[in-house]
Amino acid sequence: MYTLLIVQLAVSGALMGMVYALIAYGFQLTFATSKSINFGQGELVMLSAFFSLTLIDSGLPYWLVVPGGMLFGAVLGLFVERTAVRLSLEQKGEGWILLTIILGLLGFSAAENIWGRDDRPFPTPISSDPLHFFGIDVTPLELSVAIGVLAVMGLVELFKRKTLLGKAFEAVSADRDAAQLMGISATRTIQLSYGLSGLVAALAGILVAPITTVGPTMASVLILKAFSVAVVAGLDSGFGIVLVGLFLGALESLTSFYLGSGWREAPGLVLLILALAVRPNGVFGKASIRKV
Amino acid sequence: MKKTILAVLTTGLLSLQAYAADTVKIALTGPYTGGSAPMGVSMRDGAKLAIEEINRAGGIQVGGQKMKIEVVERDDEGKNERGALIAQELSSMGDLAGVIGTVNTGVVLAGDKYFQEKGITKIITPAAGSASMTQWSKAGVKDLSIFRFSADDGIQAAMVVEEAINRKLTKVAILHDSTNYGVSGRDDLLDQIKKQGNKLQVVATEKFNIGDKDMTAQLLKAKFGGAQGILIWGIGPELAAVSNGMAKLRMKQPLIGGWTLSMSNYIDNAGKNGNGTLMPQTFIEDPITPKVKSFIDSYHKAYGVSRIPSPMSAAQGYDAVYVFAAAVKQAQSTDTHKIKDALEDLRDPVKGVIATWKQPYGKWDPANEQTHEAFRRAQVVMGMVQDGRVVFANKADRQRLIKEAGK
Repeated sequence: MYTLLIVQLAVSGALMGMVYALIAYGFQLTFATSKSINFGQGELVMLSAFFSLTLIDSGLPYWLVVPGGMLFGAVLGLFVERTAVRLSLEQKGEGWILLTIILGLLGFSAAENIWGRDDRPFPTPISSDPLHFFGIDVTPLELSVAIGVLAVMGLVELFKRKTLLGKAFEAVSADRDAAQLMGISATRTIQLSYGLSGLVAALAGILVAPITTVGPTMASVLILKAFSVAVVAGLDSGFGIVLVGLFLGALESLTSFYLGSGWREAPGLVLLILALAVRPNGVFGKASIRKV
Repeated sequence: MKKTILAVLTTGLLSLQAYAADTVKIALTGPYTGGSAPMGVSMRDGAKLAIEEINRAGGIQVGGQKMKIEVVERDDEGKNERGALIAQELSSMGDLAGVIGTVNTGVVLAGDKYFQEKGITKIITPAAGSASMTQWSKAGVKDLSIFRFSADDGIQAAMVVEEAINRKLTKVAILHDSTNYGVSGRDDLLDQIKKQGNKLQVVATEKFNIGDKDMTAQLLKAKFGGAQGILIWGIGPELAAVSNGMAKLRMKQPLIGGWTLSMSNYIDNAGKNGNGTLMPQTFIEDPITPKVKSFIDSYHKAYGVSRIPSPMSAAQGYDAVYVFAAAVKQAQSTDTHKIKDALEDLRDPVKGVIATWKQPYGKWDPANEQTHEAFRRAQVVMGMVQDGRVVFANKADRQRLIKEAGK
């Protein structure tokens, strides 16, 4: 009975952890190619969820809403790259930090004005009636999150390894200058990585919306957790991110049970401090070699 | 040229003054956006319905003339700091007859001191946290301009505990959010359990934060502690997360809690998982008498809805305006201090949709907050969620209210 309880807690938490992992994966994609990340990624998640909700309200079936929302996310990602990142990278500056934050704030205000400040339910055909597995209760909705996250990450990783464009992606990630000398356009590749990052963020929004409801602040908690996951795992490893996401989710759930619900946020922060103190490149990160 | 400008300005000023003198200026404050918006908007819309009715009939008879009510609206977004700013602004207006509103207890605590300082009459509705009134009795204030028109958490907690005992529960878990409202609700519940003879054993006391969506850990603690019922204090979205979490964990225990369980953002987000949830209510959207029916119908018609987002907030807003108007009429003045004196000694009964209010308030006594509280146990009933609506949980309450209205 007692082990069942622990497993139930760990599974419920880990499923939420998958969402952290997916958002963290969005950070990882752009960081690999450009060494920059979109600090407004949470707003991307939220805007895509709102857009998908509008699609649902207009009567579109769910299986069309998902690609529609993801396309919207990808376009937003490209927009962020063009307006906030490209010029500052060309000048080897750090302007993208402030610019992506500002774009995020803009997106937040836009959402408040277009869709209002209230949390709204996100209808989905996927059932939320619990299924029973070996004494553990899981809803199909939670399973859809896990499947969606693994599927999209698997596809992106496959794309990076198997296609020519994907190999260019890897080349730019490994060494931008060398790749450029080989005739690969770094700008194009970075653009692609931002598009993919937006797509992943949109999927995260659509998957998590039926559980969290849709509102302007829906991603503000998620994004902080995703940051922790990205930093703890290291920004080089896609599958490291999934592992750390699962671990952090399960740990949170167990902590709030054993130490009390007030301590829920603590493990993420403790992990973050530990990782930065002991392995600043992340648990799964490569040590950076700096030539002097 | 100069003369004409001067002339225009003076006539402008004069007309402004004339305008100010023949209206009763009432401020309606509350969260019209954000998580508490269903309560704030319903309260405002219910109040405006009453104001429209009064104005359509020509206004309130003051002195030799009929005065219309003029409304000032302020959205505090449920944020304490916004509430404090709005209270400062309103209390410096000078010609304000009074204030009606506020949903969040935190906002009451942040703002009401400015009204009290200037002696501006305020009727709090529908904020229910006990601290809203006890802050003044604790401070030993001799003369208070703040009144409440809402079933305070003390009454509600008593009813919640009573319901749990009536259902023959012996072990319960208490869940609450980490805001002022949730924490004081938890204390009220624990207090009531003691007062009602310690018949309930509390097997778990768990809290959650605003914005939390995964309640598995808290609920498992309750489940494995052997809780037969969950007593809860929080607001809409998180309450829905609790109901959905209970469905996931196949917990069939009754969920009983504060009146916030009737908020539309609870009912909508919990869907069928919300069925059977119990909460104290001052008003149920059920046309039991012609007066109630006409109120519900005119609300639906005026705001184009088929369900009032928070029926009891709407009804309380509506009745609060009539109580206030009666005080203006008795005071024969728009002076906020005189209105306060009249409220403390309201001679004519006021017919509202919740009840007929006979002497709802008395002279403020710091030893007894009840002097500025309008609601007693008799005006509150148990409500239950059923298929997206709140209905009477006990048929007897419904019969009683019909009978009382017939008198």
